[in-house]
Amino acid sequence: MKILVCIKQVPDAEAPIRIGADGRSFAVTGGAWRMNRFDEFAVEEALQIREAFPGTVVEALSVGPARAAAVLRRALSLGADEAIHILREGEEEPLPGEVAALIAAYVRDRGYDLILAGVMAEDDMQAQTGPMLAERLGLPCATAVVAETIPPNGMTIRVERELEGGLREALEMPLPALLSLQSGINRPRYPALSHVLRARTQPMMTVRAGDLPAPPRRERVVLLFLPAPAAKTLFLTGTPAEKAERLAELFREKALL
Amino acid sequence: MNAEIVVIAEVAAEGQPAPVSLELIAFAKSLRRNAAEPIRVFLPGRGIGAAAAELARLPGVAVTGIEGESLASYSAEAWKEALAPLLAARKTRFICVSHNANGADFAPGLAVRLGAACITAVEAFRIEAEGPIFSLSILKGKLQMEIVPEAETAVVTLLPGAFRRGDAPSSPMDKARKDGTNTTQNETVLLPEEFRRKEIPPTGVTTLKEKKSEVQGDRAGPPAAEMISVPDIPLKTRPLGLLPAPDEAADLAAAEVIVSAGRGIGGEENIELLRRLAFLFSRAAIGASRAVCDAGWLPCRYQIGQTGKTVSPRLYIACGISGALQHLAGMRGSQYIVAVNRDPQAAIFRVADVAVVEELVSFLPLLIAACRKHREGAAEAGR
Ligand SMILES: Cc1cc2nc3c(=O)[nH]c(=O)nc-3n(C[C@H](O)[C@H](O)[C@H](O)COP(=O)(O)OP(=O)(O)OC[C@H]3O[C@@H](n4cnc5c(N)ncnc54)[C@H](O)[C@@H]3O)c2cc1C
Repeated sequence: MKILVCIKQVPDAEAPIRIGADGRSFAVTGGAWRMNRFDEFAVEEALQIREAFPGTVVEALSVGPARAAAVLRRALSLGADEAIHILREGEEEPLPGEVAALIAAYVRDRGYDLILAGVMAEDDMQAQTGPMLAERLGLPCATAVVAETIPPNGMTIRVERELEGGLREALEMPLPALLSLQSGINRPRYPALSHVLRARTQPMMTVRAGDLPAPPRRERVVLLFLPAPAAKTLFLTGTPAEKAERLAELFREKALL
Repeated sequence: MNAEIVVIAEVAAEGQPAPVSLELIAFAKSLRRNAAEPIRVFLPGRGIGAAAAELARLPGVAVTGIEGESLASYSAEAWKEALAPLLAARKTRFICVSHNANGADFAPGLAVRLGAACITAVEAFRIEAEGPIFSLSILKGKLQMEIVPEAETAVVTLLPGAFRRGDAPSSPMDKARKDGTNTTQNETVLLPEEFRRKEIPPTGVTTLKEKKSEVQGDRAGPPAAEMISVPDIPLKTRPLGLLPAPDEAADLAAAEVIVSAGRGIGGEENIELLRRLAFLFSRAAIGASRAVCDAGWLPCRYQIGQTGKTVSPRLYIACGISGALQHLAGMRGSQYIVAVNRDPQAAIFRVADVAVVEELVSFLPLLIAACRKHREGAAEAGR
């Protein structure tokens, strides 16, 4: 079986964020970037399928600027066999429609049996790339998948999608297919030392986005802004002990304690 | 030329129009350039006659029920196959879909098939001369992004319930307007009062009747829904049915105080700190974000949010929770919200009554000590 895992590099959202002078880009203090957490589950799931189906090849793909190579190295160090970097220059983040079109242009006719993606990216939170890619490739698709099994003949895949309030829907699809994976489907592993060493030197395939057919752009970001804190929110001040004392008082005043 | 606005509605389990679809219709109405702009509701399914008729009673909307054997249960494939040809034949500005599990599943693919723009998880919008500018949360709610479609047709998914409390974030433009620093006609439109101030009743029927007389400027809709049937669609996907959510002890629902753990607690070992805090209140329980349950620090039944439990305790203490919308969906109805997080920009602070910017592991022991002292003080006074 040949599996493709689509991964995205996202900023570490816990660091302070500033909006760029153009109003449409942002910078993260410290500039920490990491693999989208939902994609970590996708990498892990691919590795588990490889364990169940010996001979399976797991390839990781990312669209992004030069720095995105770091998440591909990470995927290799987790155990992916190959990495493909669709190099798209520019700090301005591409929108999902563009990313899906670039991936589709590369992937078409490469014979993947299964394509995995995260249910959404932690940065733009749009949850579009997976289902858009499936549509472009004419593949059946299920999103927010929390369980998957492939019968031994490797012809179909049975999945459970998560609906509201923890309800699940089961469905079966022929392979090739695309799944977007919900967090919690597995417990992502840590990199093994042997893989880390290999990942350092293993060559990656780089494809220039400019060499692929130009993707459509059907949306335009107008503005980014930091929402103002709610007027009602009381920020406690002082030393940690003073804040704790004030909070306990508030609990008493509200007859909660 | 008036281009119409389309709503893709859905049926709730009881055969009634789903509450999210009513929210969508209100959303569609506020996207109109004028009250004469038509709104067309498509309702795919099997045996949907009654729900379609119910929707057709709403003022200002025309309803098309799409009946088909292949539409008996939801599948992205069937929905796209049934909807795309109907939509491609129309001149549509916006196709409004709910950003729930099914809407988020088929909407992006539908947009690609139609060559349409796609904007998902919309929370608010404002109307400019060129049309609406949509806004949505990015980076776990730390930033808002304003985005516009640049195609003739746009598929827009609306975050369910984002408008219900009427506290959806507004853009700097609004603030400027409020401060009187901006004199343009910019208008930020949220949903009509009745849709955001109170929960939409689950049946929908009575509200629909009531609203007929309330809504002004709308022409009466046609008396009946148009029904079309689609032939059998050969599908690759085979639905195997719904699996119920595990039915576990609902102690969260009964709790008056919930101390909730997020990834920021740092590890399973620190849950004990939250337990000790919860122990000081009566009728208290522990809750968790999805990240905590995914990591196995607490079992899934503790999960609060869109795909977990919905709670509304008297007090909700969020410990190391960033405030992603999917989490807020399950707890924003809490009466008093306290958030402890080391990131002053965390989105959880925007729904909190009290914000504590601190390191959890050092702050919680101080809080536990202070609460204990106050409780004992009260006990003394009560003697
Ligand atoms: C379809 C779908 C459904 C979902 N359903 C749900 C759901 O039902 N419930 C849910 O919760 N999520 C749900 N999610 C996931 C959601 O998007 C977030 O990923 C999740 O809520 C994040 O959990 P968190 O806030 O605990 O973790 P994070 O987002 O990682 O936040 C951790 C926070 O802790 C703070 N922190 C870190 N260290 C410390 C410290 N030492 N002291 C103080 N603060 C610290 C950080 O500043 C940060 O704000 C869903 C996602 C999808 C796509």
